[in-house]
Amino acid sequence: MSVLPVDDPCDKCEQMLQPYLDRELTEEERMEAELHLDGCSYCRARYRFEEKLRMFVRQAVVEQMDPQLKLKLAALRTPL
Amino acid sequence: MSDTAHEQARRLAEGARDRVRFEEEALNLSDQVYSVARHLSGSKEEAEDLVQETYARAFRSWRSFTPGTNLRAWLMRILTNLNIDRGRRKQRSPDTQPLEEGDYYLYNRLSDALPESNPQEDQVLRRLSQNDAVDALSAVPHDFRDVVVLVDIGDFSYQDAAQILDIPIGTVMSRLHRGRRILKKQLADSVERDGQPGDGE
Repeated sequence: MSVLPVDDPCDKCEQMLQPYLDRELTEEERMEAELHLDGCSYCRARYRFEEKLRMFVRQAVVEQMDPQLKLKLAALRTPL
Repeated sequence: MSDTAHEQARRLAEGARDRVRFEEEALNLSDQVYSVARHLSGSKEEAEDLVQETYARAFRSWRSFTPGTNLRAWLMRILTNLNIDRGRRKQRSPDTQPLEEGDYYLYNRLSDALPESNPQEDQVLRRLSQNDAVDALSAVPHDFRDVVVLVDIGDFSYQDAAQILDIPIGTVMSRLHRGRRILKKQLADSVERDGQPGDGE
């Protein structure tokens, strides 16, 4: 288990976390992040956590639409 | 029937067919539209009104939609404009509130109370409840929440979110960044409020 001082590569990796998961990094940046992640269990755990956190939040906040609303929307269609 | 009358009838029929197709495609997206609307507005009732208004307007102005472009983003643009028009959120959230925590903050805060020094992500995640997530998201100020909801719940790209909200992509990125950090701060606070404080905090 790595005990890590928060050094520059981990700081940099932390900064790339969001755009990495959003797939908005350039190819070069993505490879840089992955190279660091391959060798750093500290960052790797936090990246995996962030990915699962997003999924968790998305599932937790989903609220089904009332079927009545669906009917109301369908009724807004232009009559033929 | 004359050729002109034929042509007119054909165009009318084609227009009607396009409209029906448009309306059906739009209705197929209603669950996704609602799930975003629900978190842009303060309540279920507000969200339902907003979605109905959105569809009423979309059906009226269907001709301004360019076929082949992103219908979901087009609907969302109507929805966010209506939401702003309602005047419910005229006040800008200040961009300047201090928020020093980085992106590893939540993991670090939650894992503090666990015995391992670098625990598995699932262990850390188990400290959060569904209610924590709902409350935390609703506590994020509007400008930031709009972007978080579009990207994280609505699954829109930065570019789509920028077009929907009519703001530069750089603003999307900074608000998203900040919004997610505020969300994480709220989540960390809610876990502590629920009575699972970390040692010595």
